[in-house]
Amino acid sequence: MSLLELADVSRSFGGNRAVDRVSFDMSDRVLAVVGPNGAGKTTLLNLIAGQLRPSRGSIRFRGREISRLAPWRIVGLGMVKTYQIVRPFRSLTVEENLSLFARLRGKAEVGEILQETGLREVRGQLAGALPFGLLKRLELAKGLASRPELLLLDEPIGGLSREEAQGLVGTLEALKSHGVGMVVVEHRLSEILPIVDRVVALDQGRLIFHGTREGFFEDPSVRAAYLGGRDAGG
Amino acid sequence: MPPDRGRSGLGVRRIVRRLASPVYLAALVAIVGFAYLGQGDPMSYFALSLVIASIYITLALAWDLSSGMTGYLNFGLPFFFGLGAFTTGYFSWQDHVRSQPLLAIASLAVGLLAGFLFAFPTLRLRGPYFSLLSILLPLIATDVVLSYWTQLHMPTQGYYSIPLLGPTSAAELIVLSAVNALLLTGFFLLRDSHFGLVLRGIRDDEEALSAQGVRTFPYKLVVFTLASGAAGYAGAMYAMVISFAGPDTFQFTFLIFPILIVILGGTGEIAGSVLAGYVVMLLYSYFLQAFTELTFIVFTGAAILLVLFLPGGILRPLRSFIQFMRTPEPP
Ligand SMILES: Nc1ncnc2c1ncn2[C@@H]1O[C@H](COP(=O)(O)OP(=O)(O)O)[C@@H](O)[C@H]1O
Ligand SMILES: [Mg+2]
Repeated sequence: MSLLELADVSRSFGGNRAVDRVSFDMSDRVLAVVGPNGAGKTTLLNLIAGQLRPSRGSIRFRGREISRLAPWRIVGLGMVKTYQIVRPFRSLTVEENLSLFARLRGKAEVGEILQETGLREVRGQLAGALPFGLLKRLELAKGLASRPELLLLDEPIGGLSREEAQGLVGTLEALKSHGVGMVVVEHRLSEILPIVDRVVALDQGRLIFHGTREGFFEDPSVRAAYLGGRDAGG
Repeated sequence: MPPDRGRSGLGVRRIVRRLASPVYLAALVAIVGFAYLGQGDPMSYFALSLVIASIYITLALAWDLSSGMTGYLNFGLPFFFGLGAFTTGYFSWQDHVRSQPLLAIASLAVGLLAGFLFAFPTLRLRGPYFSLLSILLPLIATDVVLSYWTQLHMPTQGYYSIPLLGPTSAAELIVLSAVNALLLTGFFLLRDSHFGLVLRGIRDDEEALSAQGVRTFPYKLVVFTLASGAAGYAGAMYAMVISFAGPDTFQFTFLIFPILIVILGGTGEIAGSVLAGYVVMLLYSYFLQAFTELTFIVFTGAAILLVLFLPGGILRPLRSFIQFMRTPEPP
């Protein structure tokens, strides 16, 4: 059974089809979703996470239809999304940010997550006072606190320096080896490539490629629509 | 900070550790201290002022637990207060019930029930819409009650000769202080528990909280029901202190002063409201004597200045200073 299965999923805003009849199966650990700005990547993640309702189509998580479920139910099933623009709980400490979610599915070890994401040193600080690099880590840690089987990450390294990004990708790699699945929307494909199994490419809401990362760079339609002229590495 | 701070569990040692907080202890000392000071001259203006202060402190605690902690402003608080006063008036009318504890429990129950019925549909709305309904629904309900008033064979001006809470202000103060100490302790523990953490999360970013897995509705429902119950209880106490419950029990002072107290005490701090409650209400009593007519204007002016210059209350600057002293240098 696939972990995640999308069939004919669409979503419009007014007349604008942000996501247009997208279908794919995900059975590997890590799927990268790429595409230029405005391609519909964030909208697609919001649809999967239940934060938007699809205009049509079906979304299955571990075989179960979830497109009509409330987000908190979907988290209960084992799938959670992090925000592209970080949303920490600013008046709570880093540790409290995680505690909020730590008993949704069994009991998460907050201490371990703090360790894994490199936030142990700042666990007592108010989230509102953290620098940007640590806020990106906190966003990931918040997602992990509900012990998901599948993490939906919206540009987890967006805005980070090359070194910071490397560190975070290392964390994601460790998570992957612990068996956590991930759908990663990322502009900076080259930097997360080492952990990616498969790639989905969107352009103007439509799926233009789905396959292995090797196949991605050789695909003619990808070259034309996405790599053509511009720099895919961000 | 110990790593297991957010966990639940009702172990006695854990509770004791949580209550070993300077602000909580200061609030408790204030309650006990003022209850003691009020015994000096049992019928004095000072003792009466403390009685009134205690009732406002109950309301402030109710407001802080619900609106203060979640950021959902409930302007219907005086309605539940008035409802509590009327419930006590209703049951004591023509000597049906003369037992003060029974009357208080009846008002508490009516407050809880009305609070639940109000909160259940309205808390599905986000902040401003909830606040709007919290003004409108109680207004409509009050109107309906008052227009059927005479048909219900109720006394036109309101209920009078309600049994007194105690023989003297000093005796009443003891009862009110004891209950406030209980409410303070209960609410403070709630604030510091996982439950309270979720409430603070709601105030920070409810959308992210529920998107990332926490169903917020039940938490809000519980605190707003509890707060309405506490307001109902406070209304009963007020009715038994002045031995009267009329339409003016629904006054907006029962909203404005609690909010003022909570802002001064630090929104969401719970214990701060107790300390600020004595400061505000004792000052108010003093102003009433000194300025009479001008009191409300002077007070509103002070409130505006307060909100402008100390939006975080008196405790927050202190707290951030302590935090600053404790935080190690960032790596
Ligand atoms: N809430 C919304 N309302 C209206 N239009 C939206 C909304 N969210 C996204 N869009 C539009 O949908 C398209 C895809 O946006 P988005 O999913 O954010 O792209 P990406 O994440 O790939 O940059 C864009 O044209 C954007 O303007
Ligand atoms: Mg996006």
